[in-house]
Amino acid sequence: MNPNWAEENLQTIRTLMERSAVYRRALAPTLIFCGVIGLLSGAFGVWLQCDDALVAIAIWLPAAIVSVAGAFFLMRRQAIKDSEPVWSAPTRRVMAALFPPFFVGGFVSTLFVIVSCARCRCGDNQFLAPLAVILFFSYGCGLHSASQFMPRIIRSMGWQFIVAGCFLSLCLFHDDLRDKSFHLLMGGVFGGLHLAYGIYLYFTEKKNPIA
Amino acid sequence: MNPELFLQLDRVIHEKGRLAIMSALAGTPELSFTELRDTLEMTDGNLTTHIRILQEEGFISVAKSYQNNRSLTTCSLTKAGRKAFTGYIDLLEQIVRQNKP
Repeated sequence: MNPNWAEENLQTIRTLMERSAVYRRALAPTLIFCGVIGLLSGAFGVWLQCDDALVAIAIWLPAAIVSVAGAFFLMRRQAIKDSEPVWSAPTRRVMAALFPPFFVGGFVSTLFVIVSCARCRCGDNQFLAPLAVILFFSYGCGLHSASQFMPRIIRSMGWQFIVAGCFLSLCLFHDDLRDKSFHLLMGGVFGGLHLAYGIYLYFTEKKNPIA
Repeated sequence: MNPELFLQLDRVIHEKGRLAIMSALAGTPELSFTELRDTLEMTDGNLTTHIRILQEEGFISVAKSYQNNRSLTTCSLTKAGRKAFTGYIDLLEQIVRQNKP
């Protein structure tokens, strides 16, 4: 008998307990909320028709803050409703899993924006498509990493972002595609994917509770 | 290695599928049948069988209700189930400590 089986069993038990404890019932409304914010921000950016770095920050930074705040509010409400602690051990593990890729994405994005502001005139969007690629990759890797402690569908969502990043990377070599609006990409991929997964989770959780 | 500890492990909980069910339920107040099935990636039949065994042992309680005109089955750990699960974890921890050099 493998002498480590007891330790492996304990690790599996810990993982299962954490996976079931993260606020799965709050996931669908959270994803839908973030999707709507993403789509609205993308639509606003497209309407403005200005693809420079400062406009991108002015639109997407508040969008990110509103999304995180909204997600926190929805999770907190669910936790209170289920009599679970808001800042529980599973939540801390999810945050710890999300942090490295999100930190790298945020750090590299900030560098891109600084370089973009220093070198480009307004309307020059050559840095924005690579910025979207970095954001897609880092966000996708973060979701994939956090999916160890969340419903498995989050892993699939992480892969969708990674695939979107790969596809967009290939498009960077094509002039017509490279010049597509940053806001269209962000709104379509971030907003669209969140909304699609949110709606899927909403309907599958509400409609299939049958034994 | 002390074989006594192995013999004390609860045989009902020790089975892989049932241990997974107990672990998932220990982390949350209750889970629906669908949530359990999706989390553990088990088939309906397999899950139903294990739930029945755990229910007969008094380790989990199963509640049936209706939501939007559809039946909703939810499972949760009973007091006895939580105690048995905690005891099982304690034994595993003892075995781990025993195996440490």
